[in-house]
Parts: sequence; structure tokens; C-alpha cells
Amino acid sequence: MKKLFNWLLSHPKSVLLLLLLVTVLAISQMRHLHIETDLDAMLPKQSDAYINKQVLESRFGSADMVIIGIINNSKDGVYNTHSLALVKELTNWLELQPMFRTLALNDLLSLATIKDIRGSDAGLDVEKFMDDVPATAAEIDHLQQRMHQFAVYEDVIVSGDGKGTIIVVRPMRHKYAEIYDLLQAKVAELEARGGPERFLVSGRPVIEGVFGAYMPAEMKRMQPLLMGLLVLLLFLSFRTPRGVLLPMAVVLMAEIWTLGTMAALGAPMYTITTMLPILILAIGIADAVHFLSRERLLAHYQAYAHHRERLTEVMHELWKPMLMTSVTTGAGFLSMLASDLPPIRDFGMFAAIGIVYALLITMLLLPASLMLLPERPKHAERKPLFTGYVEWLGGAVLRHPKRIMAFFAALLVVAIFGLMKLDVNASLVEQFKPDDKLRQADETLNRHFAGTTSLDVMIDTGRENGLLEPQFLQHLAALQAEIEKSPSVGDTSSIAEFLQTMNQAMHGDDPAWRRVPASSDLAAQYLLLYSFSGAPDDFETFITGDYRHAHVRINMKTDATKEVAALLAQLKDKTEVWFPADKGYKVEWAGTGFTVYRLSQMIIEGQIASLATSILAIFLLCWWMFGRLLIAAIAMIPVSLAVTVNYGMMGNLGIPLDIATALTGAMALGIGVDFAIHYLHRYHEESSAGHSYEESVINTNRSVGHAILFNTFVVVGGFLVLLTAALYPQMKLGALIAATMVICYLATCYLFPVLLGLGKSKLKV
Amino acid sequence: MLNRISLMILGGTLLLAAPVFAVEPTGLAIMQLVDTRDDGDDLIQKMQQRLIDRHGSVREREMASFRKDYGKDSKSITYFLAPSNVRDTALLTWDYDGVEKDDDQWLYLPALKKVRRISSSDRGDYFMGTDFTFEDIKQTPELEDYNWTLTGSESMQDQDVWVVEGVPKTEDLKKNLGYSKTRYYIRKDIHMFIRVVYWDRKGQELKHRLSDKISQIDGIWTVLHGTMTNIQSGHSTELIFTDQRYNTGLSDRMFSERMLKRGYRENE
Repeated sequence: MKKLFNWLLSHPKSVLLLLLLVTVLAISQMRHLHIETDLDAMLPKQSDAYINKQVLESRFGSADMVIIGIINNSKDGVYNTHSLALVKELTNWLELQPMFRTLALNDLLSLATIKDIRGSDAGLDVEKFMDDVPATAAEIDHLQQRMHQFAVYEDVIVSGDGKGTIIVVRPMRHKYAEIYDLLQAKVAELEARGGPERFLVSGRPVIEGVFGAYMPAEMKRMQPLLMGLLVLLLFLSFRTPRGVLLPMAVVLMAEIWTLGTMAALGAPMYTITTMLPILILAIGIADAVHFLSRERLLAHYQAYAHHRERLTEVMHELWKPMLMTSVTTGAGFLSMLASDLPPIRDFGMFAAIGIVYALLITMLLLPASLMLLPERPKHAERKPLFTGYVEWLGGAVLRHPKRIMAFFAALLVVAIFGLMKLDVNASLVEQFKPDDKLRQADETLNRHFAGTTSLDVMIDTGRENGLLEPQFLQHLAALQAEIEKSPSVGDTSSIAEFLQTMNQAMHGDDPAWRRVPASSDLAAQYLLLYSFSGAPDDFETFITGDYRHAHVRINMKTDATKEVAALLAQLKDKTEVWFPADKGYKVEWAGTGFTVYRLSQMIIEGQIASLATSILAIFLLCWWMFGRLLIAAIAMIPVSLAVTVNYGMMGNLGIPLDIATALTGAMALGIGVDFAIHYLHRYHEESSAGHSYEESVINTNRSVGHAILFNTFVVVGGFLVLLTAALYPQMKLGALIAATMVICYLATCYLFPVLLGLGKSKLKV
Repeated sequence: MLNRISLMILGGTLLLAAPVFAVEPTGLAIMQLVDTRDDGDDLIQKMQQRLIDRHGSVREREMASFRKDYGKDSKSITYFLAPSNVRDTALLTWDYDGVEKDDDQWLYLPALKKVRRISSSDRGDYFMGTDFTFEDIKQTPELEDYNWTLTGSESMQDQDVWVVEGVPKTEDLKKNLGYSKTRYYIRKDIHMFIRVVYWDRKGQELKHRLSDKISQIDGIWTVLHGTMTNIQSGHSTELIFTDQRYNTGLSDRMFSERMLKRGYRENE
């Protein structure tokens, strides 16, 4: 190793040139980076949620609709000429926008497009509720009355209290964020006219689009914030330009290399992977800080007269713990490969790659630059900040072992108590802050109407014309009734409901006939009758052309996975009875509610697997490094404690495990174990050198205490920057990791010395 | 004598003036030729509909239809023959010229054994779940609702055709029809269009219509096979016409509620 270090130090310029070349190469690749915000793309291709969604889209068309709400809280609600004219105008405008598909009735539902089906003794009338905007009070009353009688669209298109109406429109795919901007602009234009109406834009595509657009934007905004924080901390620690600039150069290079690698490998930026740059900045800086601290300490004691000898010594001393910490942190992240979800796998893999880059660049850039920079005799005399605290700490931990033990024992008890309350729940909408315009719009729409989250049941009858059979239709209607019992469900619709309405209309509008057609032939004839006034793919939403597959669409008022899970459990027994598999039926679930449910299920299962993997991997690495089982076990204590406290804290604070929070475990484990390794490694050196337990503790503190403290500040500070984010997942992730790191620091610097002092002979490492 | 001289003079003038007559007719004039083309006073035929969705799966229907002209108005009755679950369903339509008076329609559902009068459709509504709208299935669109322009001549399916573009005159018409522009390719010899392209209200191409099998039956040029493809949704409709019989002198009683219920008989 020494040979290699010597060679590096004799060719500093070549080393710097090489680093520069690789960096330029990475930058040249970065333009190929692309962002992926589609929720479905985050599912593994073999997952049933992914497959079913594809089947749903190919069989019944896309179910992801954009919703525009018009709310008028004045006395008559939206039933007035002004509001209705606005509905008409907006509908007409939407028909002309290329970003929307408006071919069939189900592509664009609004008061200005939906049709009323009414029967009388002589005939059947199918006509638009609102062909022209009603002008007189009588016409408006008539419209309101018909809407109420027809019932199908009440609560769906017009709210029960008449205060609001919605327009539902089918977007073209993959332009969701642009669609939101377009609609916001149009709505602002309409609102600027000063009418009493308020406009709301929501719907799954919009929520996903905005969510996807927020994450990278927030990351771009927070990067300078974090860099400012790093510069400040580095300056406070080293108080020299090189002490600030060199570590910054290391982490920025590591960030660029990582992004360049992602681009070169064609890996997309998922919402989760947008957190990589911040992560690499916060974690990658540790190596550089350890290097510079050690170099300065040696310079301070003037242990080596020559510049070059000192650098060789620093490299020689540090390469092993630095490699170890990088390997263990990397192992923490690589354990995310146990997840089935591509974004989490990518996140783990590229975080590990970034950490290796940071180590490599630290070992190349710092010695090479320090060789080229002139020696500064004075800087060695300045003491780093917090030296007083670090010195005090060394003695204090030796004086109060019992208090320290008591503190951590209490912490553990509280954490275990919290763990038992830990809950699993995820909601995409709840990731937005309560005052976010989109979340407010979504909540208002869910309050007034059937619900903005879709859940879809697809039933394969196994035979052509199977869905026309009266018994099947009855079971379909029963399924709808069962689903609608759930308070989280706003409305359901299927072909059964529609055929019931037709049956009633064809029997003189007698409510007693609101039941499914008595024969398969009659059902077929009703469908033919309806087709006389419909577009060729009007049916596509509910049935396939061969009348084999049926689709029940469910509108849920929430996308909380807990509610979805409860509903699925409630329906499982029923569907098995109504649509038995041995009679050829097949029931499949899809839709946003189901996707989010499966997604969170996979994230959480994956996290348990990766947490177990990383604990095992890090334990084995420590065992291999320290050569003793007991020490490896001790090394695991601070992180295990910190992770337990992390999840316990979530349980106590009522924060459920979800997409973002589930990630914290493996991340905290990988980062936090570094503290323990640096500490134990130094302690091992000290006690091998023949020092007593007390001396070893004090010396260890003096040597690595400062770097660990700095490291804690950086990681805690870095993740606290996430608190300024506009979305909850980033905030929660930031707060939880920051808190976990504080515990990790305390456990390393306070609990470790106490634990090492246990036993009669004091542990020798 | 004088007459003969004047005729000769007239003939000479005509000869001289011949190049003037070779000038192409206007777009409107061509559409009027299409509109006044002889299509018989009544017609019996069988029709097969093939509705093809974007995955290529096909739904087929067979029907027999009777039509009789009453001046510019017409009456028609259509019996469904297949698939079996809609057999004997029948539709009676009294179609009035112009847009002032709504068409009358009655439907017979055999499973209910009842005749129901059903409300008429808008011109832009789709016809029986096919890709044709009610406007499309008319022999010619309402000529006065469009501005017609002859944009050129070309050769298509080995025939000389005129290319005539029709743009609905008002925004309201565009909305009602669902089209912002249409383009007809009209055979110069028999005044039938063999291809039509439709643009939607956004100005994007919407549908392609093709009449690719045309024959003379009882002296009347008749489409035997046509398709309409919605290029945005990928859905298409194929229409196959067979067993045409023109001018058989269908009786007025044919187009009544009683006949609707009675159902189809092969040799009417």
C-alpha cells in the first residue's frame, strides 16, 4: 500500500488531471439523464398491480382521469345561469385541447355532455341534460329535478347539495405536469372574471404529475442550501480556505460522477433517486474530514517533519477504516437491492457507487492537492472548534457510566413501547402539506363528490356473452352494494347499474323495474339500443366487445393504503362466493388505490428484508475487520439502538411506515455504523499501543471525537435541510434520519466507552 | 330555315365556346352532382357490420334493411338477424330532409315484445355504435351547411377523381358535426365519393373512410364494401352490402309499427 501512496504523492499533477478528465466525461453524460414520475413505472414488471393495470388499460381504456371542480357556495349553488354557462364554456374549451382525448362520452363527462335516459309509456328519451345553457328559473329547476331523478350522476357529476359540479376528462399520457399547468392557467383566467365560482383541479394524473415535478425541483432548490451549510461547518472546523474547498471539491466531484454513471447506464431519475445528490454530499464529506483532521493533528504534534511523509502516514493510517466505513455504508445501501422496486434498488445501488466514488476521490484528490499546495506553518496552531467539548467528553464518560446506561435503557424502553404501536399506511395525497393547493383541491372534491382515487375490479366470466347472464349481473350489482357500504367509498359504477337504469326506462320509468334484465337476450338488446346513441367505444369502460369481461369502477375518497387493505379484505370472501374460480370466473384488482397499496406493501416488505440483510452484512464485515465476535457485536449496538429508536419514535409520534419512512432504517444503519467503526478502530490502536482503558478512551475521543462530531453535524444538518421541502416524504425522511444520527452519535461517544469498560478486566480490543 | 341557321350559329358558338365548358365545375356543383345521383326509389339489401376494436377483436352483426324514398324524405326499416341474442330486434326510421324536423324512430325489442319510440339523435352522434355518425350515413352531407372548394383532381383506384373540401360554415355547425373539415375524393365518371378524410374540432385527422368495392346493380352504382377507421382511437367499422334489389315497389305498409313487430321475412 505504501508504495502506491508514494507513487500517488510523486505524481500529483497526473492524478489531478485524471480526476478532471473523469469529471468532464461525467458532465458530458449528464444531459442523458431523464426523470420518471409515472407511479406505475415504479412497480416491478411482474407485480400483479403492474400487470393488472396494463390489462385494465388495454381492456377497458385508461382509468386515470383529470378532475376539474367548480364550486359555488352561494344560495343556489351551481344551479344558476352564470355557473352553468361556465361549465359549458370550460367543456367546450377542453374539447379543443390536444392534451386531452375527447372521442367518446366517457372521455369527457360534464353537465354539458352527460345524457339523461328517461322512459315513458310510449318511448325512451336519451338526451343531454343541458343542450343549451338554461336561461330561466323554470329551466334551471327542471334541470335540477331531472338530475335528482336520474340519480346516476348525482354526487358524481353534481354534488348532492348542488354547491358544486365537476368535469372529468381523459388526459393523453405522460404530460401530466404540463396538463396541470395548462389547467391552472385556464382556471386562473376564469376566476379573474370575478364570479362567485371557485375552481379546483385534481385527479390522479395531476397528483402524480405534480408530485413528480415537485421532487426534483425541491432537490435543486435544497442543493445550494446544503452546500452553504457544509461550507459553514467546514469553515468553523478548519478555518482555512483549503479546509473548506478541498472537501467540497471531493463531494461535488463524487456527485457529478454518480449522476454521470446513472446517465451512462440509462437509469432514470425516480422521485426517490432525486435524493441521491443530497445524500452523497452529506455522507461523502466524512472521509475528507477524517483525512484533513488527522493530517492536521499530526501536523500539530509535528510528528513528521516532512510534508510527504506525513501524508503517507495519514493515508496509511486511514485507508483501512475509511474503506471499512465506506464498505459498511455501501452494504447498508446495497441491502436495498433486496427490494422488488426498481426505484429503491437504483437508489441503493447508486448511493453505494457514490460512496465508493467519494472514497476514491478523497484518497486521490486530497493528497495530490496537499502536495501541490504550500505548507502553512501557522494553521497547525489553530485549534478546531469544539475542542473543549471533545476534551471534556473524554473524561466525562468515564465519570458517569451509570447515568449513561440509565439514559439509554430508558430510551430503549420508550422505543420498544413505540414499536408496538407502529402502523403501516401510505397515501400519495397526504404527502402534500395540508395548505398545498392541490391537496386542498383534492380534499374539497372528496368532500363534495364521489372521490378522486380509483380502485378497479375486473371480472372475467370465462365465456363469451357471460356478463349478460342475469345471475352474473345480479352478483355484480350485489358487489357494488357491498363496496358502497364502506365509508371510504364514494361511488361505484358498472354495466349492471346501467342495465338497471335502462330496464326501468323501458318500463315506463317505474322504479320497481330498477333491476337487472331478466334474460341474457334482453341485456344484449338493451346494449344494442344504447349503442344507437353512443360512440363505438362508449362501452369500453365497462365491458369488452365480446361481453366476456366486466369492470367495476370504484371511486374512493382516500388513497390511504389502510383503507384499501380493509376494503380488499372485506370483499375477498364475497367475491369468492359470487364469482367462484371453479366456475371459470377470475377476479382481479387494479387502479390507483391498488397500485399505491401494493407499492407500499412491497416497500415495507423489502425494507424488512434489506434491514435484516444490512444488519447481517455489517456485522460480518465488522467481525472480519476486528477479528473478534464480541467487538463486532458491540459495534452493532449504537446503530441497532438508533434504528430501534427511529421506528419506536415513529410509533410514538403516530407516523406510519410508508414509502419514505420505511427507507430510513437501512440508510441510518449504513451511515451510523461509520461512527462506531472509526471509534473502535482508534480505540483498538490505542489499547494495542499498551494504554490503559481510561487512557484509551481519552485518546480515542481526542483523535476521532472531533471528526465524528463534525460528521454528525454534517449528516444531521444535511438531512435537516430537507425540512424546508414542500413535500412530507422528504421532510419526514430528513427529520427521522437526523434524529437517528443524533442517537447514533450519543450511543457511539457516550455508550461505547461505558460498554467497553464493562467487565472486570475491562475489555481489550 | 331561320331556325336552322340560328341553330348552326348556336352550334358554331358552342364549338368556339367549348374550351370555356371544359373549365372545372365548382366544389358545390360537384357535391350537387353527388347529391342528385340516382340511388333508386326503394332498396332492399342485407348489411353486415364488422366492428373492429383497437386490439383487432371483431364484433359482427347482420341485418336486412328496406328503404323507400318519399321525395326528399325517406323511410327505412332494419331487422337484426345476428348475433342470435339480438335477432328480430328492429328499427323503423322516418327520415325528414333538412334539419328543421327531427327524425322519428321506433324500436322493437323482442325480449320485451314491446315497441318503443326513441328520441332522435344529433347529427354528430355515432350510428349504432359504428364509426359512422348520423351525418356520415346520409348519401350526402347537408350541402348548405358547408363551404365547398374544389382543391384539385387526381387519380385514385385507377379512376379520375375530384378532390373537394367542405368546411362547416359556423362554429356551432363544427361542434354539432364534430368536424372542422372534410375532404371528399369523387369519381368523375359516376359522381360517387370513394374516399373521405375527416378532421376533428382540434384540427387533427380523425377518420378515414374508404369505399373500395363499387358495382352497378340494376343500373345503379352501389357501394358493396366500405370501411371507416377512427385513426385516433384505432376503432374501425367495416360495412358489407349484399343482395341488393332496387325499385321493387315496396309498399307504404312496410314501414309501420306492425311490420316492426312482425319481423323479417326473406321474400318480402
